[in-house]
Amino acid sequence: MIGGLDFTVVWKDLPYFFLGRYPKGPLGGVGLTLYLAVVSLFLSFIGGLILGLLSVSRNRLIKWGSSAVIQTIRGMPLLMVIFWMFFLLPSLLGGGMPASWTVITALTLFTSSYMSEIVRAGILGIPKGQTEAAISTGLSHRQAMLHIILPQALRNMIPSFVNQFVSMIKDTSLAFIVGVSELTQVATQMNNRTMLYPTEIFLFIAVIYFILCFAFTELSRWLERRLAYQKAI
Amino acid sequence: MARKVGFLIVALALVVAVFGSGALAADTLAAVKAKGVLVAGVKDSLPPFGSVDPNTKEFVGYDIDFVKYIAHKLGVKVEYKPVTSANRIPMLMEGRVDIDACTMTKTPDRAKQIGFSYTYFLTGQKFLTKKGTVKSLKDLEGKKIGTAKGSTSEQNVKKAVPSATILSFDDYPQGVLALEQGKVIAVTTDESILAGQLGKLQKNPATRGKYEIPDIQISNEPYGLGVRKGDTKFLDFVNATLLEMEKNGEAKKIWNRWFGPNTDSPINRGKFRITADRMGLE
Repeated sequence: MIGGLDFTVVWKDLPYFFLGRYPKGPLGGVGLTLYLAVVSLFLSFIGGLILGLLSVSRNRLIKWGSSAVIQTIRGMPLLMVIFWMFFLLPSLLGGGMPASWTVITALTLFTSSYMSEIVRAGILGIPKGQTEAAISTGLSHRQAMLHIILPQALRNMIPSFVNQFVSMIKDTSLAFIVGVSELTQVATQMNNRTMLYPTEIFLFIAVIYFILCFAFTELSRWLERRLAYQKAI
Repeated sequence: MARKVGFLIVALALVVAVFGSGALAADTLAAVKAKGVLVAGVKDSLPPFGSVDPNTKEFVGYDIDFVKYIAHKLGVKVEYKPVTSANRIPMLMEGRVDIDACTMTKTPDRAKQIGFSYTYFLTGQKFLTKKGTVKSLKDLEGKKIGTAKGSTSEQNVKKAVPSATILSFDDYPQGVLALEQGKVIAVTTDESILAGQLGKLQKNPATRGKYEIPDIQISNEPYGLGVRKGDTKFLDFVNATLLEMEKNGEAKKIWNRWFGPNTDSPINRGKFRITADRMGLE
């Protein structure tokens, strides 16, 4: 008992909170939340970078096309994107896709389109003189972007990236809408079984979410410090 | 380069459109036997119908026991897929589950999209309230009532008490929480689900004896197992199995296991028997 709260319900089924039905069924709980977050994080970093680079392209067709995609996805609630992907993807791909991957796709699309704006801002934030200087040394546009602009821009983007990723870690909780048993859904299951301890159960998962987000933030602060020494702009 | 990418995207979309919309096998019975697995859409957080036992990590419940028996009869294994009230019908139609066993009420509208088995569970829609607050439907007029999104309960209560404000929750326990906090005056859905929720409230010393299910019934709710529309062979097999379960006492045994007098949500089986009925379909 802690302050009138009885956390036995949590300790007793701790493995279930962390792994869900694994190994008897698919991974669930904290494990699935981490899996969804890490995979989507990795994919949306790449996706955001690509979309961001396309949206600063000198080719108008590419520029407008990519910004149309970004605007469309940003204009939809994440819940809707998850729901759409859940029904759309398996019917497009012939039904073989597990529900967790439809959620990963939705999170990736959604986060990528937000990240692309960070990437765009980061690139435009590097003074034009840098590009001009690079090109005058004989580098092509592509080389200037890859070797001169991006390395500086990416470093400046880290805090905004972290912001977006922390928000995404919490967004994984929306996967419950399609019956994917990540941490929030597992907590709901436990609460529906017992009904007596909603405060304990939801307090516990709030702490878990906080730990995940805090750990991630600390990790990126460390990365930021590591990269700071070469900073020119 | 840009053009090449454009062509590639168009080509990919065409490929997906051609191969993606592959027709579903109409004969589920043969398909299930061939792959050796029956994929069942079930609830994972709605005891006593379908939930996960955290100790064994297996699905358990009234719905689950019926699916198990059907799969056993087919000689195949079962794979359970958690579904929600909102996605269970599309998932069945798309072939991502072979059968829906998830507290689904048979309605004429739903029967246009999917096929229903004989009624395997019969209940009626009632209200869960704080003791003494609601005596008749009149007491609910103009008040807030909680229920679950996309359920028949939501539509029924709108018809029965048009002046009430309906708050739709993701599932019933959230509605009960709202009732405890006084945000709604009643939670409405099938008696079977309410009985389970009342059982939980009775277990808690803080809420024991403070809640009740008044004798106000606003609809009949026959539950059916869902199969794909036009899948006659499979539906016939499911129906025959249900009748067999009634005959050999298995159906009654399952009822008593989940709704018997010593369970958390006792419901009297009364006159209910599984028969070749068409309840809820007309």
